Amino acid sequence: MSTLKTTLTGYAGYRGREGHWAFLLHRITGLGVVLFLTIHIVDIAFVYFQPALFLDALALYQTTLFGIGEIALIFCVFFHGVNGLRIAYFDMFKPGLWSIEMQRKTTRTTLIIAIILWLPAAVWMVRNILLHNYGIVLFGG
Amino acid sequence: MAATTETVRRVKVKPNYEMIAWKWMRYSAFALIPLVWIHAILQDVVVGVHAMDLGYVAERWASLFWRVFDALLLGFAFAHGVNGLRQVLNDFIHGEKGRKILNWGLFIFWLAIFLIGAIALIGGVNQQFPLE
Repeated sequence: MSTLKTTLTGYAGYRGREGHWAFLLHRITGLGVVLFLTIHIVDIAFVYFQPALFLDALALYQTTLFGIGEIALIFCVFFHGVNGLRIAYFDMFKPGLWSIEMQRKTTRTTLIIAIILWLPAAVWMVRNILLHNYGIVLFGG
Repeated sequence: MAATTETVRRVKVKPNYEMIAWKWMRYSAFALIPLVWIHAILQDVVVGVHAMDLGYVAERWASLFWRVFDALLLGFAFAHGVNGLRQVLNDFIHGEKGRKILNWGLFIFWLAIFLIGAIALIGGVNQQFPLE
């Protein structure tokens, strides 16, 4: 139990600013995606094993609550992807770039790129939820 | 100002399991960018969950291209994800015995879910045509 406390205190208390936030956000988004991915593999497997259950899962995904979760999921996918690309590029090709100044700069760029990729997708998904769940036509009805 | 000089020494390190896992996370990341982004944008944004039914999945899986695409996605994404989960849990579990249990537990978890997905992907839409 003490390991849990020590590690969590370290996660929360470490003051590494951008590099630290990128680390935390990478983990949170990664855990979120792998949680959904596990559920998603099983629900798609229902197509073969139990088609009626697949339709139930689909009905659940079409609800507003899951729609909001889906919008968050797309952000996780984009942030984890852009940040992962940054990590992989630094580690494999330019290890010299692992400096505090570069962390500060590239983390900000990463977040901006992720938000730019996510925003249009998020707007369209909000439009879909409003259209199909509430009959509200935002645009492109 | 330069009181110290920098020398770069290259050392050959024998690859071990953890090193392969570390490299796997980076190499699979490059493959996952196109795979996951295309999949997510297409299914969640362009098509959208409201336009989906069994017929949609049947139509998609009728194409060999999309089945291979989904197979790559299943192979790369889930192994990347479960190894990522292992990395996170390694921060909390330090003992040799605990890590051994963790590694085997996650391996069995990965294998079980992977097989469920793979069987469904090969089996396809298990329903009589025309779809109801």
